[in-house]
Amino acid sequence: MSRLAVWRRPSPLPGFGLAMGVTLAYLALVVLIPLSALVIRASGLGAAKIAAIALDARVLAALRVTFGVAFAAAAIDVLFGLLIAWVLTRYRFPGRRFFDALVDLPFALPTAVAGISLATLYAPNGVFGAALARIGVRVAFTPWGILVALIFVGLPFVVRTVQPIIEELERELEEASATLGASRLQTLRRVALPQIAPALLTGMALAFARGVGEYGSVIFIAGNIAYVSEIAPLLIIVKLEEYDYDGATAIAAIMLAVSFAMLFVINATQSWSRRRLGLV
Amino acid sequence: MSDAALPRRAAGRVADETPLAKTLAIAVSLVFLGVFFLAPLVVVIAEALAKGLAGFVDAILEPDALAAIALTFTIAAIVVPLNAAFGLAAAWAIAKFDFAGKNLLTTLIDLPFSVSPVVSGLVFVLLFGAQGWFGDWLAAHHIKIVFAMPGIALATLFVTFPFVARELIPLMQSQGTAEEEAALTLGASGWKTFLTVTLPNVKWALLTGVLLCNARAMGEFGAVSVVSGHIRGVTNTIPLQVEILYNEYSIAAAFSLASLLALLALVTLGVKYAVEARAGARAG
Amino acid sequence: MPAPARVEAPARYYGQPRTISIEGVSKSFGEGAVLDAINLEIEPGELLALLGPSGSGKTTLLRLIAGLETADKGAVRFDGEDASDFTVQQRRVGFVFQSYALFRHMSVAANIAYGLTVRPRRSRPLREVIAGRVAELMVMMQLGGLERRYPSELSGGQRQRVALARALAIEPRVLLLDEPFGALDAKVRKDLRKWLREIHDRTGLTTVFVTHDQAEAMEIADRVAILNGGRIEQIGRPAEVRATPASAFVADFLD
Repeated sequence: MSRLAVWRRPSPLPGFGLAMGVTLAYLALVVLIPLSALVIRASGLGAAKIAAIALDARVLAALRVTFGVAFAAAAIDVLFGLLIAWVLTRYRFPGRRFFDALVDLPFALPTAVAGISLATLYAPNGVFGAALARIGVRVAFTPWGILVALIFVGLPFVVRTVQPIIEELERELEEASATLGASRLQTLRRVALPQIAPALLTGMALAFARGVGEYGSVIFIAGNIAYVSEIAPLLIIVKLEEYDYDGATAIAAIMLAVSFAMLFVINATQSWSRRRLGLV
Repeated sequence: MSDAALPRRAAGRVADETPLAKTLAIAVSLVFLGVFFLAPLVVVIAEALAKGLAGFVDAILEPDALAAIALTFTIAAIVVPLNAAFGLAAAWAIAKFDFAGKNLLTTLIDLPFSVSPVVSGLVFVLLFGAQGWFGDWLAAHHIKIVFAMPGIALATLFVTFPFVARELIPLMQSQGTAEEEAALTLGASGWKTFLTVTLPNVKWALLTGVLLCNARAMGEFGAVSVVSGHIRGVTNTIPLQVEILYNEYSIAAAFSLASLLALLALVTLGVKYAVEARAGARAG
Repeated sequence: MPAPARVEAPARYYGQPRTISIEGVSKSFGEGAVLDAINLEIEPGELLALLGPSGSGKTTLLRLIAGLETADKGAVRFDGEDASDFTVQQRRVGFVFQSYALFRHMSVAANIAYGLTVRPRRSRPLREVIAGRVAELMVMMQLGGLERRYPSELSGGQRQRVALARALAIEPRVLLLDEPFGALDAKVRKDLRKWLREIHDRTGLTTVFVTHDQAEAMEIADRVAILNGGRIEQIGRPAEVRATPASAFVADFLD
């Protein structure tokens, strides 16, 4: 028996060594080593320096815009994502399959394409932009534009995470609730929603994580006005173009830390819901 | 109490929303999807054809556009096979064997998903850029990675890393090892088993993963933006070229190029949907 | 399904039947010991039933003989040679899985032919020879007309017979069956178990099958080994075991 047998169950299937070797080597080369370059460089800067950079007015504004709008977009996605997931799963209507497939669009459509489309739609002379201008709302070149883009990008995360849960809901629980005298709204709120909640949280976390890092869909519609509608990823690029590697590293490190934190949160909510309800 | 005294509900279940509520919910959902999802698609097509079919073709055949298309395809041709091979190896190890640290490995594989594209590009600049770890060594040997094709390929490799593995792993896990074990008892070698038993069982998931990987590889913008240097005709991929055209107000040209990617997205989604419908029909 | 006809199997198919010796074999998964110092001599050409409740270790023992598991302690020998010198592929064991494990993307004919088609060029029979063997086996297993069907289109009983045909196609020296009739209904089980006995008689293969159904074991096996908690409680001919149970467990289980 080789040393490997200590930490893995022996199996008659061959090829474990080769497959694992390739997997680990490729993972290290393509993902781990490049990421470690950032981590090492950031720790070289030190926490104090990173904090100083983060507290610079322009950086702070960018971080606030990025996280703030991403959170708002994720919240709106939760609201509408839940509704859309419910409608797509529970109801039958012509064109349902088409709209169901449509939800995946942000997954497959390149961000730059989405970006210029949204910018064109909401520009002052665009179809939506002109209509909104008449009621005094400006979307393009403001944080509202960022919000629109992030809503687009984050919605499928909520819908696709929640849909399987809704599919698995037992109708009999709702029927029992009805026989006990609850109104439909009460049943939805007190019987269905608690079962969906963990998946909803996971979906929100995923949408938030995606929104924080989003670049292509946002920069065309946002106007990128410093202190107003400039997002953190763009600021990283600006710093790079100014050869301010330290500044870029610092902001990137903060964003990476948030990404890891979100990964952790997502995993935690998933295992919590698995334990609580046996669902994901 | 006679039945007539009870309020009559519309035909359907006892526990369900009223028809009015349903109609409202459907309407709101469709309007939301129409505004946020359908409208951008329509815009792409409309603007691409704003100068007519001739204008569309001209935009595609313009030299810088052709160079961008060539570069994009080259990158995809490098990145997709590599990530597909990795995905197969990782799925074989994770799905068919039991070992400690499996969860950690799966999480690590998912890492590029949660990292911002701009950060993904940045790490390669930090490694290979002028002020990067290897910057001096590369300059001394006249090797260009950043602001050249290799850099774009690496950044794209990073960003599309998990796609194939993520499609394959759950499927191979649910398929178990019984068929592979049977093949072994019948005398097949490891490779024979993998090629004749395992692969055919995952061919649709592999196709979906490859298509998704390809769509993302061709459409990647943020990471490539950082790494490419935007050198016209040389290091511009289709998305970068789209950005340049848009910023120069060549709107129709920008959308013409963009529509190619949009078409790719629709084909990818279509295949994914067809595969899932097939699998659902078979299982259900 | 009509009662299976008399089985015709050419004697040339199958080589010398083997003695299988299991010496002091123990195996644990994690904390519990699944097999505890098992000693068993399987006579060449006999039909042996491994009988016991679930969790008694009988499937693990079967997989050990096939090489799909490795023993922590002890040895398995084929005709005296240590089996651990041989890989799964080299052991030429015909294994019928509980779930049949048919290749879902291959037709019935391709499934049965599989073991012959994966042989290296040098030792691979000609296409016509393979086709001929597949045809003979399909007649023997009463699978006529199903060549082009896929596993998902077959009934449980048909799948089981395909799995058996597939295992026999490679001319195994030993035939191992893991709960071969587990998923079928009572009437089909009764018919198939008689028919398994006939196949065994015709081919003369050393055959070991695992079951939790004592009626099945007692009806067709030459000898029955009763397992409980990883140990063999008793081995013997069905009549002997029934007449003189070695322990309360055996007496209880056989009723």
